[in-house]
Amino acid sequence: MSLYTAIEPEQAEACADGGASVPLWRQEGAEPFVKIENVTKKFGDFTAVDNVSLNIYKNELFCLLGGSGSGKSTLLRMLAGFETATSGRILIDGVDTSGIQPWKRPVNMMFQSYALFPHLTVTENVAFGLRREGVSRSETKQRVAQMLDMVQMGHLGKRKPNQLSGGQRQRIALARSLIKRPKLLLLDEPLGALDKKLREETQFELINLQYELGVTFVVVTHDQEEAMTLATRIGVMNQGQIVQTAEPHEVYEYPNSRFVAEFVGSVNLFEGKVVEKAPGSVRIDSRDAGTTLSNNHGIDCAANQVVNVAVRPEKISISHEDPEQRDNCVRGKIEDVAYMGSLSLFRVRLDNGFEVRVTKPNLMRAAAERFTWDDLVYLSWDEDSSVVLTS
Amino acid sequence: MPITKNRLGAALALSVSVTSGAALADESKVLNIYNWSDYIAPEAIEAFSEKTGIEVNYDVYDSNEVLEAKLMSGGTGYDLVVPAGAFLERHVQADIYLEVDQSRLSNYDNLDQVMLEKVARYDAGNEHSVPYAWGTIGLGYNVDQVRERLGDTPVDSLDLVFNPDVAAKLADCGIAMLDSPAEVVSMALNYLGLDPNSEKKGDLKKAEAMLQSVRPHIKYFSSSKYISDLANGEICLAVGYNGDVLQAQGRAEEAGQGVNVGYSIPSEGTLVWFDVMAIPADAPHPDAAHKFIDFVLQGDTAAGISNYVYYAVPNVAAMPLLDEEVSSNPGIYPSEDVKAKLFTQNAHTPKFDRILNRSWSNTKTGR
Amino acid sequence: MSIIAESVRLTGPTLRALILERLGQIKCGRYAVISIPGLWLAVFFFIPFLVVFKISLAETAIAIPPYTSLFEFDLEEALLEISINLGNYRYLFEDDFYLAAYLNSAKIAAISTFFTLLIGFPMAYLIARSHGTTRTLLLSLVILPFWTSFLLRVYAWMGILQKNGIVNDFLMSIGLIDTPLTILQTDIAVYIGIVYTYLPFMVLPLYTALEKLDGALLEAAQDLGCKPAQTFFLITLPLSLPGVVAGCLLVFIPAVGEFVIPALLGGSDTLMIGRVLWDEFFLSRDWPMASAVATVMLIVLVLPIMLIRNNAEKQGEAA
Repeated sequence: MSLYTAIEPEQAEACADGGASVPLWRQEGAEPFVKIENVTKKFGDFTAVDNVSLNIYKNELFCLLGGSGSGKSTLLRMLAGFETATSGRILIDGVDTSGIQPWKRPVNMMFQSYALFPHLTVTENVAFGLRREGVSRSETKQRVAQMLDMVQMGHLGKRKPNQLSGGQRQRIALARSLIKRPKLLLLDEPLGALDKKLREETQFELINLQYELGVTFVVVTHDQEEAMTLATRIGVMNQGQIVQTAEPHEVYEYPNSRFVAEFVGSVNLFEGKVVEKAPGSVRIDSRDAGTTLSNNHGIDCAANQVVNVAVRPEKISISHEDPEQRDNCVRGKIEDVAYMGSLSLFRVRLDNGFEVRVTKPNLMRAAAERFTWDDLVYLSWDEDSSVVLTS
Repeated sequence: MPITKNRLGAALALSVSVTSGAALADESKVLNIYNWSDYIAPEAIEAFSEKTGIEVNYDVYDSNEVLEAKLMSGGTGYDLVVPAGAFLERHVQADIYLEVDQSRLSNYDNLDQVMLEKVARYDAGNEHSVPYAWGTIGLGYNVDQVRERLGDTPVDSLDLVFNPDVAAKLADCGIAMLDSPAEVVSMALNYLGLDPNSEKKGDLKKAEAMLQSVRPHIKYFSSSKYISDLANGEICLAVGYNGDVLQAQGRAEEAGQGVNVGYSIPSEGTLVWFDVMAIPADAPHPDAAHKFIDFVLQGDTAAGISNYVYYAVPNVAAMPLLDEEVSSNPGIYPSEDVKAKLFTQNAHTPKFDRILNRSWSNTKTGR
Repeated sequence: MSIIAESVRLTGPTLRALILERLGQIKCGRYAVISIPGLWLAVFFFIPFLVVFKISLAETAIAIPPYTSLFEFDLEEALLEISINLGNYRYLFEDDFYLAAYLNSAKIAAISTFFTLLIGFPMAYLIARSHGTTRTLLLSLVILPFWTSFLLRVYAWMGILQKNGIVNDFLMSIGLIDTPLTILQTDIAVYIGIVYTYLPFMVLPLYTALEKLDGALLEAAQDLGCKPAQTFFLITLPLSLPGVVAGCLLVFIPAVGEFVIPALLGGSDTLMIGRVLWDEFFLSRDWPMASAVATVMLIVLVLPIMLIRNNAEKQGEAA
């Protein structure tokens, strides 16, 4: 099964990435697999999920990204049926799920703690869902063996969960949640309990598995890197609301709000006032930067409106000579240098005291131009590299 | 073993005499009494303390068995205890009492000679004990309920409990039996015309068979529960101690629920029991104990106790001082011809005790 | 039966060597730590048990204490005379009265334990699933009865169950029965008494086990297709099994030897080993026989339980 199922010929041709088709969520009028309509969930006075509407398409690996208390887990639990929406409705594969008990939903969940049954062996854990479905013993045995092989755990079937390492448990939990071939798999922080190296490896395995099985995944995570790597699309959540839904690079390059810009990756934010506005460009006078900043994206703002200009550290070039640019150029002194192997991070204090972070890839071992503490440097970026945020 | 014990004893005695020399004077002004609950007039203790300056520590128990278990373990620290006759007999054999020095009891002549002779069956020559009170085991009954079921059948017969035909008629309103194997079996033997103190296996078998035949009609066996149950009408007949039944009578009157309790002494003759005062061999204050015994033997003290607890005292000097209500109550002081038919129950050998208790357990559990 | 043995003598030097060796071991702090519970067991369980066992091998005597001594030491001839009387144990097995008493006690204890579990489990479950102040309140309600005397509470049940007691009054007032039911002085009253008295001992270990139960496991089971009842039997029950076992033992063991409840609430025909023990001790004044009954009760009760526990531990290790 291919990741992108419904291909419309003309769009496929129009697509620039060699051979791949246009994903469903970019297509007008495509039927979503999961339809969340104006869902609100309240616990007493606390609104955990606030009027969320969201479409998730077949074969997506959708990430709900947010900090703790952002409502992402509650949304996931409503998909699983463990919580009931206070208002609004959720449709899965065209069926309104309200009133459908968790055990009757074509949905499975992989729990953050894995929730492996400690009194059952690995095999029994994985077989659990099938036994409840009334699948015959022989078929269960065969499917469990197959599933264990797929997650490379075939040799550990007789062990109990407490005899497994964290990574092994994660695989068993995954195997158990996939054994019933759910239409929708919900994963709550699937990699949260693993160490960094294992997490990176597992990320790709998860993507491959999802691609092979063609199951729609909804992943909840607080880790923006994880979301970036895994997701076809990311829904960034804050205070019960989805603040931006977009593909990973869009979320990173074109955050739609100060919150998203700060939450996803690292960013320099310069506050300023709109001084010139033309179709397709804008000039901002920023006290933070001590100069005027310009941007060539069309944005919807009024003259004199206070906005934030967001510039990612890696978009800024650093030089000893003045690039003699009218806008988007500031001067400062290097206060701190952090050598991080693949790149170096500089903290530059501007003349007005504002701090800017800049990263520079270490392309060669001995770079021609070296930057070190107390160097006076010029920081500059293209009109194209910044984002103007009105909210 | 004996050597070590004596040495240890000597060492202890030495240490006591060294450390407590100063306190010795006050020590002799103390008396530790262990008696049945509700078995003395409170004024008697006050009067004794006032008269002699001796401070009385008064503890109570509610069964001979508890008293015996304590005495048999030794080292109770009590100066005066009040066991029942059959227990006294065994205790004298075990040599756990001091001899009572009758020459120090100025009021000893107040004691009823007939009663002293009966007690002598437990304690030869009355050497270790002085009788305290006595009573009978008889029938406590709910006057109205029994009349309703038995009509004019006389209620002063053990037929009420030992004849299955009669007992069956009372089963629905509840019959209670003392949970005291030696006493009840003794009465059963007497009812069957056998020696109440027989230790013959065959006799015991007959008594057991008779008791088994009435077992289905008996609601429970208990030595204390029947008091409140008689008073509130939960049961209508109890084989019990006279004082307890009279207590139930008093409670029923107080409650005013229309329950009317009577007591009768069986015409077949019944068991008489005695409680006696005795001084444990290791009593710390035997002198004070003697003084207290002598005080109880005073006619006015004895009468005060009898008036208060509704039990008979074996004290001739007390007779004229009794309340009319007490002295004229045949349940407390029976007439001479009834008295003539009373018999005592003596201690059994350990071997017979075991057979008796097993037989009793079988009867109770209906096995 | 009488066995004559030569006196055993510990001479000075060997004794000193032994003590020094022991002290050397105790130096290691770890021994000291292990020895604390060991000491506790020795002082409060093992030594009293040995005393009882010793008495069970003696014969009754009319003396203080009312049994014979096992050891007679003749200093002049250096002769230690040991007389052991096994007659009590022989009698115990010859007379089927004791067997009947043991079996009936076990039956009453088992039935009571079953009902305690049946009532205690939902209670513990509810408490474990409640939160904050509600949980604290419910827990203290479970413990609250301990604030009054056990005896008083059993007496209260006499008032509740008697002929003109609350239960009968209520049932008659709603017209369910015409004549009062006889509950007091029956086995049913004994069951009620035991279940009531020992309920906290069941609820507390169950609560501890259920409280530890991860809610995610229950959700996982539902997620994989379990209805609530299935979830209970496949997940909740097996995982709370240690609590169930602990609770059942805490109820069963004391219930077997229970004396007060059958004495106050039960009928005279309620045959239980605690009552037999009382009779042997107080009525027959046969301390050795009473000790033999107690010893056998302890062995019959404790041995199987230790075997079960050992077995469970082994299984736990193997898994």
